Amino acid sequence: MKALYLIVPFAPLVGAIIAGLFGRAVGRAGAHRATILAVLASFVCSVIVFADVLNGNTFNGSLYTWITMGDTRIELGFLVDRLSALMMVVVTFVSLMVHIYTIGYMAEDPGYQRFFAYISLFTFSMLMLVMANNFLQLFFGWEAVGLVSYLLIGFWYTRPSAIYANLKAFLVNRVGDFGFILGIGLVLAYFGSLDYDVVFSQAISFSERTIEIIPNHPWLLLSVVCICLFIGAMGKSAQFPLHVWLPDSMEGPTPISALIHAATMVTAGIFMVARMSPLYELSETARSVVLVTGGITALFMGLVALTQFDIKRVVAYSTLSQLGYMTAALGASAYSAAMFHLMTHAFFKALLFLAAGSVIIALHHEQDMRRMGGLKRYMPITYWTLLIGAIASAGIPPLAGFYSKDAIIDAVHHAEAPGAMFAYLCVLSCVFVTAAYTFRLVFMAFHGEPRFDTGHPPHESPAVVTVPLVLLAIPSVAAGWLVGSVVFGDYFQDSVLEAERDYHGLLAFTLHGLVSLPFWLAVAGTVTAWYLYMKNTGLPKKIAMALGPLYAIVERKYGFDEFYDRVFAKGALLVGRGFWKGGDQTLIDGLIVNGSARVTYWFAGVVRLIQTGLVNTYAFFMLFGILAGVSWMMWHLLGS
Amino acid sequence: MLLSLSIWIPIATGVLILVAGGTSGGDRSAHLQRSLALGGAIFGFLVTLPLFTGFDLQNPGMQFVQNLPWITRFRINYHLGVDGISVLFVLLNSFITVLVVIAGWSTVENKVAQYYASFLILSGLLNGVFAALDAVLFYVFFESTLIPMFIIIGIWGGPNRVYAAVKFFLYTLFGSLLMLIALLYLFGKSGGSFEILDWHKLPLSLGAQIWLFFGFLFAFAVKVPMWPVHTWLPDAHTEAPTGGSVVLAAILLKLGAYGFVRFSLPILPDASRALAPMMITLSLIAVVYIGLVALVQADMKRLIAYSSISHMGFVTLGFFVFNSYGVEGALVQMISHGFVSAAMFLCVGVMYDRMHTRMISDYGGVVNTMPKFAALMMLFAMANCGLPATSGFVGEFMVLMGAMKANFWLAFFAGTTLVFGAAYTLWMYKRVMFGPVANDHVAALTDLNGKEAVVLFALAAAVLLMGIYPLPFTEVMHGSVAELLRHVAMPKI
Amino acid sequence: MTPGDYFLPALPEIILLAGTCAIMIVDLYVKSERRAASFLLAQILLAVCACATLFVQLGTGKGLYIFNGLFVADSMANLLKLTAYLATSVALVYSRQYLLDRGLLRGEFVTLLLFSLLGMMVMMSANSFLSVYLGLELMSLCLYALVALARDSASATEAAMKYFILGALSSGLLLYGMSMIYGATGSLDFREVSLQIKTLLSAGPDAIPMRPFLVFGLVFVVAGVAFKVGAAPFHMWIPDVYQGAPTPVTLIIGAGPKLAAFAMAIRLLVGGLQDLAQDWQQMVAVLALLSMAIGNITAIAQSNLKRMLAYSTIAHMGFMLLGLLSGVIGGNKLNAADAYSAALFYIIVYTLMTLGSFGMLLFLSRAGFDCETLDDMRGLSKRSPWYAFLMMVIMFSLAGLPPTAGFYAKLAVLSAAVSAGQLWLAVAAVVLSLVGAFYYLRIVKLMYFDEPRDSLAGSAAVEGPREMRALLSANALVLLFLGLLPQTLMGWCLDAVQSLRIL
Repeated sequence: MKALYLIVPFAPLVGAIIAGLFGRAVGRAGAHRATILAVLASFVCSVIVFADVLNGNTFNGSLYTWITMGDTRIELGFLVDRLSALMMVVVTFVSLMVHIYTIGYMAEDPGYQRFFAYISLFTFSMLMLVMANNFLQLFFGWEAVGLVSYLLIGFWYTRPSAIYANLKAFLVNRVGDFGFILGIGLVLAYFGSLDYDVVFSQAISFSERTIEIIPNHPWLLLSVVCICLFIGAMGKSAQFPLHVWLPDSMEGPTPISALIHAATMVTAGIFMVARMSPLYELSETARSVVLVTGGITALFMGLVALTQFDIKRVVAYSTLSQLGYMTAALGASAYSAAMFHLMTHAFFKALLFLAAGSVIIALHHEQDMRRMGGLKRYMPITYWTLLIGAIASAGIPPLAGFYSKDAIIDAVHHAEAPGAMFAYLCVLSCVFVTAAYTFRLVFMAFHGEPRFDTGHPPHESPAVVTVPLVLLAIPSVAAGWLVGSVVFGDYFQDSVLEAERDYHGLLAFTLHGLVSLPFWLAVAGTVTAWYLYMKNTGLPKKIAMALGPLYAIVERKYGFDEFYDRVFAKGALLVGRGFWKGGDQTLIDGLIVNGSARVTYWFAGVVRLIQTGLVNTYAFFMLFGILAGVSWMMWHLLGS
Repeated sequence: MLLSLSIWIPIATGVLILVAGGTSGGDRSAHLQRSLALGGAIFGFLVTLPLFTGFDLQNPGMQFVQNLPWITRFRINYHLGVDGISVLFVLLNSFITVLVVIAGWSTVENKVAQYYASFLILSGLLNGVFAALDAVLFYVFFESTLIPMFIIIGIWGGPNRVYAAVKFFLYTLFGSLLMLIALLYLFGKSGGSFEILDWHKLPLSLGAQIWLFFGFLFAFAVKVPMWPVHTWLPDAHTEAPTGGSVVLAAILLKLGAYGFVRFSLPILPDASRALAPMMITLSLIAVVYIGLVALVQADMKRLIAYSSISHMGFVTLGFFVFNSYGVEGALVQMISHGFVSAAMFLCVGVMYDRMHTRMISDYGGVVNTMPKFAALMMLFAMANCGLPATSGFVGEFMVLMGAMKANFWLAFFAGTTLVFGAAYTLWMYKRVMFGPVANDHVAALTDLNGKEAVVLFALAAAVLLMGIYPLPFTEVMHGSVAELLRHVAMPKI
Repeated sequence: MTPGDYFLPALPEIILLAGTCAIMIVDLYVKSERRAASFLLAQILLAVCACATLFVQLGTGKGLYIFNGLFVADSMANLLKLTAYLATSVALVYSRQYLLDRGLLRGEFVTLLLFSLLGMMVMMSANSFLSVYLGLELMSLCLYALVALARDSASATEAAMKYFILGALSSGLLLYGMSMIYGATGSLDFREVSLQIKTLLSAGPDAIPMRPFLVFGLVFVVAGVAFKVGAAPFHMWIPDVYQGAPTPVTLIIGAGPKLAAFAMAIRLLVGGLQDLAQDWQQMVAVLALLSMAIGNITAIAQSNLKRMLAYSTIAHMGFMLLGLLSGVIGGNKLNAADAYSAALFYIIVYTLMTLGSFGMLLFLSRAGFDCETLDDMRGLSKRSPWYAFLMMVIMFSLAGLPPTAGFYAKLAVLSAAVSAGQLWLAVAAVVLSLVGAFYYLRIVKLMYFDEPRDSLAGSAAVEGPREMRALLSANALVLLFLGLLPQTLMGWCLDAVQSLRIL
């Protein structure tokens, strides 16, 4: 087994190295063969490991000692339990799909090998992240995936928009990491170790411990830790208010949007919090922060999706909103529900993205839905698979989305943490929104009259594109049926803490779902979308007019980008320039350094004047010296 | 004996080169001088390797000691030795010297002999600083380094080189002269001994310690450099030739920080503890203030220079939180900064040799014409903003942990470097490397040549190795650092 | 004791006197322009004197007093004498070509130089006010004449005039001081004087009437010494004379006389008036501080190299005094040997540096061109890298940077000052020497970083007589060598000082 544990992450790394460093040597085919083979191997291994874990063989061991600081030893190692096993399977599976899909999608791109290298590298990093058995390695993976996403968003490095987006993404993530590392610091400072085991086992004994970050304001240590860590999650999982980078990240090639910015990386935050559940369970404050953040993100990002026309951006915002769901679930201590939604979402969101990508290439990189429509006829496979994805994400039974989302809404409904009610309203109303924007997409793109140049009509994408779509469609349908064992069963056992809730079998759950509010909201949303974009297509504009500024605000994404740009970016530059010109150049250099030199010169000039060149002056000074000496001595004598 | 070799081999080679250059002229001799330099540098590096391999981890004290009477009139000894703290710097220095020699191979055309002689002699002197256990010996090496560096900046430097060179010289001389007084005072106090190790045991009143601390502070703070005596560095870096900037950033800055651990902390523990708040404040100012200043630089070298200052802020911060995380982190940070800043300056040098400009605005889309180079520089840029699995992360991480142990807010302000560091480094990278080809000059660029590749790959290897497996680096220092912290903890009054 | 023993300690002086007279006569019959004979003889004479001095040194342990205590031959005297011979012979080599080019190479030069040397030697060996004064005058008169060597140069004659007048004034002051002390103690012999002072001071109340005479005398004596050393505010003559005099003479004035002046200071202040140390040390402190400040700061503003070096001399003398004044701390003399030997070491190293720096100026000057201004140094490294390097060594040594002799000179003096508790004086000293570093650095900068001046750009590598080139290189390299191994010389200085009776 140990060998497998190693193969899972390192096979993709090897693939990445082959494709990256020897890309020119192995050629395009070589590159994708190598990487796909590697990822496939890693996927197979993960499946085996998964099966093995289901048989109860979890593993927690160290790989090697990374460093010893003083008497603290920090080791890199793997923790393979049901949580990480699940993630391993999801990551490798989606990654595999994306690898295959890429062959078709990037076929014409000069950076072919580079691209494969990147996504394999990403797979490696992500696996290191999920398999970590300590905070440091977690942070390793955390930063590594950030790096790869930076590289991939800026993959087309000649596009100004792309290189703007990737810098933005990296910096916003860094803000999150800033909080994250503070959290890690606190853990190490108080628990004296970074191993999950050690920390979690001590957690209880620290549950009452308070610290005074601001003097005489004792705060619960664990709350501070959890909130710091969660800030990291906000960065990675693009939670409000650090969500701004995700929509822009769509500048990257579509497979990336599917793999990194929908299925896997952005869920790292969710995974992390779930992993830390033993800590979060001990801090209600932290949980309510998580809960509210999730709620806000879910609803308000969903609303933005309604106003976008770029097909990928719509999906991106829907991702944000779905992430909001997961976060809310975490806040409601429904960790398994969150993980479950993470899984289903991974499938159907990847599906949506890849399908969208398939449309985009079919239309020669046209992304604006206003210039689509009626594509159903031209690309059936894409249409049907995308439809499945849409239904799943809209949360209509019996597809995957429904089960996971319903479980979450239910959990949030039962949560006690402060702000639970607010969160509940958010997630509930978001069901409607979700359905609305999803089907808005479907109808605008695939139904109605073609709004593109029908002169040379688009045609269905090649197999390398459609096969992954189909393969992803299957779990998007079926994955939900595991809800019993995953969410309400004991799937996670002790790898995440869980609050008990009642469950009477899949059928009952589904039926209950059919009579419960969320389902009808979803239906309502769907109908609305149909009415607005099929029946009465003039209406949306009118509504937009009617709402006026409100609509504008939503469409402008509540102006976060502008705000950050003006205040933080420009502000930092302003302050920096101030320090430089004012502090360094004027004050320190001008006044003190060069100033002292100038004074010396001036003094030299003065002293020079004494040197008149006249003997009598000289004699005078000599005698003056004598006089001074004598008088001083005299004074001295009289003194004694 | 090894240490003597590591000091005198480079110096001897330097003199040899001067002689060779003096006697024969012409192109052939230039090649001869280069080969001589390379030979000397490599030989010098090889003799330092046993220091690491033969280092006894169990022994926290001085090793490879050599102690001969030198100036008996003042009981000054030629006393060399390294402990877990200094040994790494001797290695680093000898390693960097080799790279510098290679880097200058085809770029330096005028006064080749003097160029290489200066660098080799400088390298020898620097080894001397790290190995010296006698205060005067230390001071002699410490001061002597000024002369070659002054020459290097002044002769092979940029347009404003003279101002920079003189500023560098006087700035640092001022600091070290005050240190001289402090040394002489200790000489008197200790009943006529210049043995640094004896001084570690010397009882001193708090008042005296405070005065001495400031005496040392000037010397070391200027070298580090700490805010607000840092303004010489950007000028010196900007004007110095590539090799000069490399040595300056990689080694010379370390002298100051090294001085703190060798003198200030163990000799003046009480003063150090008393003044720690001040030192920490200055360090944090360096991190934040300088980080912001770096953001607005239009000149690549200046930007990297400022980033150096901000990184060195981490070092001083680490020293003055007085816990093993902090101190070891600071030392690791020093080594790593040696690699990373050297690499960054070399990268700028690579571009400068082709474009003869350091202005960011003159570049853009370099990646299109120099993909290999771009990839390497990306690695170094990432190391510069402390990305895990690069050496840059290790030190920053350890120092942050140490700071957190001391106080949340220290870690908080220090942590901002995660954002600022990334901001200024990657923003520069974006403007220089990414985007469409900016102009014909960029279009005409050619990718790395053999020598450049060798140098950069060597550094890349070092950066990655240290990032992925830093254990060997820290293992060496545990003993000595523990010893140091024991000294600091013990009141001397 | 036999007449042999009786005259033995003065052997070098006697030889020099006789030899110089001989050379003077020989020179009359030398027709050649180059005066090879005179120069050769002079060198031989110096060599012989050196041997004689060494011979004396072997004979003398703690010091031999002859001529009824007028004259003493002890290690310090011998060491200083040897240095003075060295300086003189080097000066002869350096100056020759220069003088020849300017038609100043006349017999007087050699003889005057040797006579002034005799004067110095007398000062070095003087053990009484009388002999000190004799030596001083003999030396000074020769120097006045030397400065005026270039008869038809206005600046030279003016300088000679100033030097003479001020010199006369200063020796007047000195004499006045001596007479007062004589009045108070009733003796001219330093040993006697110091004994008398001891008794006077221990005598308590009934000594009160004598005290004013002593201290006033002291003030005047110190003033006289300060003038010869060239410490502010008695320094005014130095810049003008240094600049006005022909460079070889400047070289001579800069080197030997400083040694003699130092000897005088030791003999008078330490030998004779050590029990008044408390009093004179404070005065010397003021002089030292003033000299360092005025010297270093004013030097920055100079564009004429000779003048700049003149100011640097003042600063260096200030530094040397720093050693002199750290000898006695609150009546105890534990520190004395260290302090005085430090000062001695400083003055010797300083002499070597002066020889080097002015020698370089002479070397760079050619017929019809005097290397005098800073601009003349521009781009020297391009014209002749080797001499640029030597000059750099000398400059860094003057700036007191390791690894050069100048550094240990500073180190020794500072350590003496610090252990004498003169912390603030020491700090002031280093801060001012930082200012000093600037103008030495400027020379290096000119030589290495700047382009040669158009008029010199074409001129090929500077040429000079072989022996001069060799000696100049040796001179600079010695500074470097002493920077690496100062031990021996320091040891000699310590022995020399310890040979003083009073320690």
